[in-house]
Amino acid sequence: MLAEVTLGPRAVPRARFVVAGETARRAVRSGALWGCVFGLYVAAQALTYASSYKTPASRERLAGLFGTNAGISALNGPAHEIQTVAGFTAWKCLMVLSVMGAVFGLLTATRLVRAEEDAGRWELLLAGRTTRRGACAQALGGLAAGLGAFFVVLAAFVVLVGRSHDVGIGAGGALFFALCVTASPALFLCVGVLTSQLFGTRRRASAYAAGILGVGYALRMVADSGTGLEWLRWATPLGWVEELQPLTHPRPWVLVPVAALCVALGGAAIALAGRRDLGSGVLAERSHRRPRTTLLSGQVGLSVRLSLPVLSGWVLGLCAYALLLGLVAKSGGQALTASAAMAKAIARLGIPGAGAQTYLGVVFLMTAVLLALVGAGQVSAMRSEEADGHLDNLVVRRVARPAWLAGRLLVAVVALAALGVGVGLFAWAGAASQHAGVPFSGLLQAGANIVPPALCLLGLGTLVFGAWPRAATPAAYGLVAWSLLVELIGGSLGLNHFVLDTSIFHQMTAAPAVAPDWTSALAMVLLGLVAALAGGAAFARRDLQGE
Amino acid sequence: MATPAIKTEQLSKRYATLDALTDLDLEVGQGEVVGFLGPNGAGKTTTIRLLLGLIRPTHGRAEIFGLDAQRQSVAAHARLAYVAGEANLWPSLTGTETLHLLGRVQGQVDDAYRDELIARFDLDTAKKVRAYSKGNRQKLQLIAALMTRPDLLVLDEPTAGLDPLMEQAFRVCINEAHQRGQTVFLSSHILSEVEALCDRVGILRNGVLVEMGTLAEMRHLSALTVEATFDGSVPDLSAVPGVTSVEVAGNVVRCQVHGGVEPLLKVLAVSGVHELLSREPSLEELFLAHYGAPDAEGHVVSGAR
Ligand SMILES: Nc1ncnc2c1ncn2[C@@H]1O[C@H](COP(=O)(O)OP(=O)(O)O)[C@@H](O)[C@H]1O
Ligand SMILES: [Mg+2]
Repeated sequence: MLAEVTLGPRAVPRARFVVAGETARRAVRSGALWGCVFGLYVAAQALTYASSYKTPASRERLAGLFGTNAGISALNGPAHEIQTVAGFTAWKCLMVLSVMGAVFGLLTATRLVRAEEDAGRWELLLAGRTTRRGACAQALGGLAAGLGAFFVVLAAFVVLVGRSHDVGIGAGGALFFALCVTASPALFLCVGVLTSQLFGTRRRASAYAAGILGVGYALRMVADSGTGLEWLRWATPLGWVEELQPLTHPRPWVLVPVAALCVALGGAAIALAGRRDLGSGVLAERSHRRPRTTLLSGQVGLSVRLSLPVLSGWVLGLCAYALLLGLVAKSGGQALTASAAMAKAIARLGIPGAGAQTYLGVVFLMTAVLLALVGAGQVSAMRSEEADGHLDNLVVRRVARPAWLAGRLLVAVVALAALGVGVGLFAWAGAASQHAGVPFSGLLQAGANIVPPALCLLGLGTLVFGAWPRAATPAAYGLVAWSLLVELIGGSLGLNHFVLDTSIFHQMTAAPAVAPDWTSALAMVLLGLVAALAGGAAFARRDLQGE
Repeated sequence: MATPAIKTEQLSKRYATLDALTDLDLEVGQGEVVGFLGPNGAGKTTTIRLLLGLIRPTHGRAEIFGLDAQRQSVAAHARLAYVAGEANLWPSLTGTETLHLLGRVQGQVDDAYRDELIARFDLDTAKKVRAYSKGNRQKLQLIAALMTRPDLLVLDEPTAGLDPLMEQAFRVCINEAHQRGQTVFLSSHILSEVEALCDRVGILRNGVLVEMGTLAEMRHLSALTVEATFDGSVPDLSAVPGVTSVEVAGNVVRCQVHGGVEPLLKVLAVSGVHELLSREPSLEELFLAHYGAPDAEGHVVSGAR
């Protein structure tokens, strides 16, 4: 009788692929979402072109302007056959989506590999029978599943829009295009998995992967800016993506180096995974160090200290980007003003055509989006401080919650303002070196002009943080993504102003092409301020919540 | 009378459908060392987070030295130090940096004592927190709390992850604090620890304070175990007031006695007792009396560690 009670461990089916399954589940979800956003973007571009440039003559004119313009191709890559819908779509989407896709790839990889390991979730799984190498291989497999989902959703959109009579892109071409857009996310997934093996924290793993992307982007920009350095395109994966030339002169053989690099990076990651301890990287940080206590005399100093690595990364990246924009502004502007159709399209945005300033007015939207992302990152950092229990250490001492939040927001506001001004300064430096004739004060104002949307986002994010902390990070990033989507496709879909107003960028004027509208800017900042105050009040009255 | 260090009135916390803490009335006098015992999930951490104002009570209130735990939390925190059950410190800071920061944020540090504590706990403070083991992180938290010499120490299962040697060092520190007149509120599920350190103990179960008293008072709540060996025949003890669970094995009787032992002694005195053994209940047994009965074979199922 008693024997029945003293059973040993019961045999259960062995879970062999827990890591792969877990990773795949989450990667597929975000892959499908990003595939959807990218698909919408492609569809909007193709349909807009087909409806705005109806006659062959107008298309030829556009091609004549952009086909050879260095400033434009430095941004979008070289233009091939943009007198066709297919060629224009490829040119307009491929580089933008490759860069955004690379960001998606590297963030997904470091989140699902490094952050999961940091949180100790792999420890449980690896205490079972999976080796570290096996786990890394499984994670790669899971990420590949996510990438597959991304490809399928994106391809479905492209194929569908291709069937539209006006667009007329064949299914084969559409599939190859979707594959080309998937190349960059695939590469940077692998880069992210590799840096996750090299570095012991998600932040460092992401920062180094983003650094690689930045260098790759800059190389491509130089290669495409008509300086006779076209061969540099072969030195960067983003250049390979251009050389695939989907929808115009498809060159599938260029996928060979892409695939080879993926395999090499993945293989290296798996090999390295076996050579390190769980929870640390191959390039272990020095664990000992002399104390640096200068900033550590209060909670504001601590916030500065903790945000410094991320913010200096942003300073470097954003200022370099602004410099590049400035460098190509002159030639970019010439193309814009010379095109009647383009001038009309731009005029519809309320921007009078005027060379380099017009060009910068159009492309500064991107810097505004990046700055808003910095703001979202600050909201996310605030929430992480709470979720990780770090905030407890302060508020159980003599730090009141409102004081902590105010200090944290102060750091964010100063950083955003400084970044905005930095963007203006560096864009001016770039433009001035090319004698683009853009006034210093105009660009300084344009730099200041991208700050209010970011401040508004920071305030709204703080409101969500105060009222519904677990939603703060997704809400902040989600609002930036939504706003970008509205800006990119809202105009061409003819959405009504209630929808357009939900974009934090909608009230921002296209400075330096037109004068900043400081009244609207002030309204945005006030909205952010009110939201932040409400968020602060809610925060002071709620439970602190872990993950 | 001096203001109590901790005072709660009907302090309650409800999470969605779960009552994590129900109507807690608790008073800890200044200078007392009070243990707060309960199994995992009993509501110990919830209570402590309410005392610190980290979470809001569903109803009821708490005071620290007469200061409202929610509305006057900063003033209350000036007089206390807290050690969390899990040390969530900033991984990128070194031990020295962490202690510097936490001292500054508290605005009060006994430098000499801090250095002594670092030596006593044998902690390498030049290391980054990321590189610390769980036990070392816990030590760092303990040092950060003790070095401010607070009037009140609030400790949530502070010895989790410490090795026995360090646990000993911890006990020394608590005893020192006690001698200096500091108040200590210590939650634990390790009975021997509470037994060794505390004047008074509260027992929490499913969010309800089921018992509160000195160890001496608590012992009366549990039975005394008596084992008597008789020369001759064994008398019938089951009718004696306060005596239960009588077991007879040959000429040996074992029973439990509740309340006074006099009635039993009277019977035994006239029955020719050859040998008498009696034993006070340990806190383990007290605990088991609340959380689980011995199983059918009389084996004690250990509730601790
Ligand atoms: N944030 C929360 N949300 C929901 N339930 C919680 C939360 N925190 C604690 N609980 C629940 O409250 C009960 C008491 O938890 P806790 O105070 O942590 O217990 P102890 O510290 O005694 O182990 C447990 O059942 C726990 O699951
Ligand atoms: Mg607990």
